[in-house]
Amino acid sequence: MLLTILQRFFWMVVLVAAQLLVFNHIHLFGYATPLPYVYLVLSLPMDTERWEALLWGFTCGLLADITMLTPGVGAFALTLTAFMQPTLLKLMAPKDAVEDMRPSYSTMGFWSYSYYAGILTLQFSLAYFCVLAFNFHHFTDLAISFLSSWALTFLLCLIFQGFRKKRNE
Amino acid sequence: MRALLDFLTRYHHWFLLIVLEGLSLGLLFQFNHYHNSVWMTTANTVVAHVAAWEEGVLRYWHLGQTNEDLMRRNLMLEQKNERLTRYIATLTHDSTWTERRQADLLSDVTLLPAKVVTNSVLRRDNFITINRGEADGVKPEMGVVCGTGIVGIIYMTSKHFAIVQPLLNSRSRISCRLRDSQYFGYLKWEGGNPLYAILDDIPRHARFKEGDIVETSGYSSVFPSGIFVGKVSKIENSDDGLSYKLRVHLSTDFSRLQAVCVVQQHFQSEIHALEQQADSLAQQ
Repeated sequence: MLLTILQRFFWMVVLVAAQLLVFNHIHLFGYATPLPYVYLVLSLPMDTERWEALLWGFTCGLLADITMLTPGVGAFALTLTAFMQPTLLKLMAPKDAVEDMRPSYSTMGFWSYSYYAGILTLQFSLAYFCVLAFNFHHFTDLAISFLSSWALTFLLCLIFQGFRKKRNE
Repeated sequence: MRALLDFLTRYHHWFLLIVLEGLSLGLLFQFNHYHNSVWMTTANTVVAHVAAWEEGVLRYWHLGQTNEDLMRRNLMLEQKNERLTRYIATLTHDSTWTERRQADLLSDVTLLPAKVVTNSVLRRDNFITINRGEADGVKPEMGVVCGTGIVGIIYMTSKHFAIVQPLLNSRSRISCRLRDSQYFGYLKWEGGNPLYAILDDIPRHARFKEGDIVETSGYSSVFPSGIFVGKVSKIENSDDGLSYKLRVHLSTDFSRLQAVCVVQQHFQSEIHALEQQADSLAQQ
């Protein structure tokens, strides 16, 4: 249990550090900025309690906010994502899945995992950019930022998952 | 209590979500000036809208009271307006020749202004009550006039009020004369139209015409001579055929009487006492 927590904490630090050092500097066409630290919530296994998921989401979001000087934005969005994650995972998981199933291509299949990751990253990006903008006066710019960032985030999550699969193999 | 605990346990993740999201929003508004200002602006706008709505509702509830206050205020202003209108009328009113002459005639007597408290013109024997009495020096047999002519004679007095026997009373007889020819007779009212009275006992040889002015003769201690009473409107023979009976259009409209003056002649009581003494001697 403690090992799991430490491992997860380690990955959280790595993801936030990657976000701070690498992904924060990506501004594709001036709009798209990937936010792949959401992958931590995506990778929570199916037997994770909902309160536990909420705390992981909040902590990870808060850590990202502290490092990126956006207090509250990431925490709000990632907590919401963490709240949805267990329900969505149960919905997308195969019927014969084990209780402590980890969401991945091998356990869920590529398309199921893609849907799962796509929905959660979409919700996260939407919440993140809405809270960040906090108004809809420049709706087009907001929509482009959100959609392009979501696309990049989603793609990076799929790539992370691909690396993880290879490593597991 | 158990049910409450069950409820809290069952939906604990919802409560945790609310707490964490609340914490996130707290951080957001606390450390981001932009979010804080937008939040405060929006909150203020919402609060202002809610306050405006509440104000509207409260105002609607208080409409009845407001309406009552307005009605009371309206009545008060109407009364004030009436008073001021009357006051302005007295300031701008150009007095008529009759009023000026009346003022001249009454200059050597004391006039005590009084207000009509009750009045009647429809009965055979009408009476008027005024708000002056013995405390103001009013005594029976004193004359009462108004701006347009004579009114009547004080009949009874109390401390603060007096009853006037007006011309419109079957027992009223006031000595009057024709201004041009100086023939005199007694003015009385036979009922009916309150604008007309009868001047009786005008001798057959007197010369006059319709439209001649009738005024007080001054042959009593009640009214000074020359106070305008009215105009001859019709000439008739008396019942016995020995004199004329003149129908007089009275100058005083008794049905609109509001302000009057009690005529206080300086030597009235002395004259009255002398007349009574002469009467008693004649009877002996």
